Amino acid sequence: MLLDYDRMGWLRVALLGFTALVAGFLLLPVVFIVLLSFGSSRWLAFPPPGWTLKWYQELFADPAWLNAALTSARIATMTAILAVAIGLLASFALVRGRFAGREILRGLLLTPMVLPVVVFAIAIYAFFLRLGLGGTTIGFVIAHTVLALPFAIIPIATALEGFDKSIEDAAIVCGASPLEARLRITLPSIRIGIFSAAIFSFLASWDEVVVAIFMASPSLQTLPVKIWGSLRSDLSPVIAAASSLLVGLTLALMVMTALLHRKFRT
Amino acid sequence: MTHPFLSIRNLRKAFGAIVAVHDVTLDIPRGEFLTFLGPSGSGKSTTLYAIAGFQDPTSGDVLLEGKSLLAVPSHKRNIGMVFQRYTLFPHLTVAENVAFPLRVRRRPDADVKKKVADMLALVRLESFAGRLPGALSGGQQQRVALARALAYDPPILLMDEPLSALDKKLREEIQGEIRRIHRQTGVTILYVTHDQEEALHLSDRIALFKDGRIEQTGTGEDLYLRPATDFVAGFIGNSNFLAAEHLGTTNGTTTIRMTDGSVISGVRANGTFGKGQKTRLMIRPEAFSMERSPASAELNVEIVDIAFYGERRRIVARIAAGQEVDIRPTSAMQSQDVWPCSRQVFFDPAAAFLFPA
Ligand SMILES: Nc1ncnc2c1ncn2[C@@H]1O[C@H](COP(=O)(O)OP(=O)(O)OP(=O)(O)O)[C@@H](O)[C@H]1O
Ligand SMILES: [Mg+2]
Repeated sequence: MLLDYDRMGWLRVALLGFTALVAGFLLLPVVFIVLLSFGSSRWLAFPPPGWTLKWYQELFADPAWLNAALTSARIATMTAILAVAIGLLASFALVRGRFAGREILRGLLLTPMVLPVVVFAIAIYAFFLRLGLGGTTIGFVIAHTVLALPFAIIPIATALEGFDKSIEDAAIVCGASPLEARLRITLPSIRIGIFSAAIFSFLASWDEVVVAIFMASPSLQTLPVKIWGSLRSDLSPVIAAASSLLVGLTLALMVMTALLHRKFRT
Repeated sequence: MTHPFLSIRNLRKAFGAIVAVHDVTLDIPRGEFLTFLGPSGSGKSTTLYAIAGFQDPTSGDVLLEGKSLLAVPSHKRNIGMVFQRYTLFPHLTVAENVAFPLRVRRRPDADVKKKVADMLALVRLESFAGRLPGALSGGQQQRVALARALAYDPPILLMDEPLSALDKKLREEIQGEIRRIHRQTGVTILYVTHDQEEALHLSDRIALFKDGRIEQTGTGEDLYLRPATDFVAGFIGNSNFLAAEHLGTTNGTTTIRMTDGSVISGVRANGTFGKGQKTRLMIRPEAFSMERSPASAELNVEIVDIAFYGERRRIVARIAAGQEVDIRPTSAMQSQDVWPCSRQVFFDPAAAFLFPA
């Protein structure tokens, strides 16, 4: 192959350098924020004149922050459960089903991934206002589930495609009803896809800000909304601390997924 | 009237415009080892799947002891099946795999334990009970699949090319195991393969499939020694087909003329032929002999090549018309016996079959 990595010679060095540059450019802001959250300067001076944990103390002392974090976690968890449940049913239909309009259904279910979020946010805001769902947890969860569905469907459908249907058939000749075969054999066999779907849809809700801003009410704020709101009122290092926690949990979940995948491969 | 144990009646299965199985009728007595043999796409698997309940036939019926199975869903048919692909449940250990059919039948724990141990002993994999399928070789996986399929003592065991993914040596080893298990359990086996050696080695009877129909059903010997059609003759064993003209049949004696003008009497005719009809004479390579005997007919050939195959020699010869003939004489012979290049070879006309051209 023309672009075989092993045969590129000096180009390899250039490619490595370029990749590192891009990665650095993308990650540097995150690193800055984490550093600033431990810095002693109230005005976010860089480099920080000293190191401290007081912004974290302030963060945990403030019930508004804690509330926002708990709200985020609650909504993300419910979103993950709902998205995985719907994603499972949808994946079976998309992978196993033979019906007219299957490709259209696939397209529709995956649209939220490519649709500009703000368009979706305005549409669902107007719609939910009419239904009286604006500013409610249910409304939040429904909106986030729609956004998270592609991230649930893709890993589950991929795992299901890789699962040999003959194994399910074998369970059925063994005497298991089709439902029992799916619950006892197929689901455990594609559990890696289900775990990934759960984590990805949790994250899709956990760090979602645009729809959340539209859905939020003063009494119902997720962590990203709270960060956004605080940014506009006063720029305090507490925000950096909150952001760092947000990033931290995201990172932890991603690492967990990677480790799971590695474990399953062997 | 007593019913045949398993009976397939005028089975037909069409997928849209494609007819996978045209018309299959077959009775299988209890305890028989019957093999579906045939080329790829001839409808063997589809027939098997109709028995398992994975395919609803377009028409026809499948009866077990006189009762139709068609209305019974797959999981209630109580049939054992081993698939071509590896179908062990990947997240369960070998023992749990074998226990699965017993667990879904809600058998008591003690029974399950004992049966699993018996089954693993049957396939000689006792020491692998705790392993996951991923840590087994292909042959071991298929043996576990066999144990799982037999754990609930099904009256019928279906196997769809279970050994096709294995190498030759392993395949022969497991063929031996399957024969032994058939003897020990007395289960009725329907076995699908497109490997004629496997079919001959394993089965009591063979049903030879072609284009969604059964061409001939019989023992391996029947198919080999008394092929009903030229397709059977060509599919089972090796065969030479030589062009010939039918001169006439009187008092059951069929006389033909070969392309070089020689006339041969007493060949076996499948069906009736008109005078002067173009036909093909089938002669097995091992039906040839290098020495003349009282009843033998002769064929003028030119020896092209001789290869030594250990137990026998294989000779490639050419007849006047230019066609090559495969000759594997069973009689002992010295290599100088077959020279010179141009000579006669002999065969018993009663072991040669006449088919329409
Ligand atoms: N689900 C299906 N849809 C359409 N055509 C099918 C389907 N299943 C089988 N066929 C067709 O039916 C015919 C018979 O298939 P079948 O699998 O029974 O053959 P087989 O004898 O088992 O062949 P092989 O030795 O390759 O397994 C083939 O032409 C195949 O393409
Ligand atoms: Mg097949």
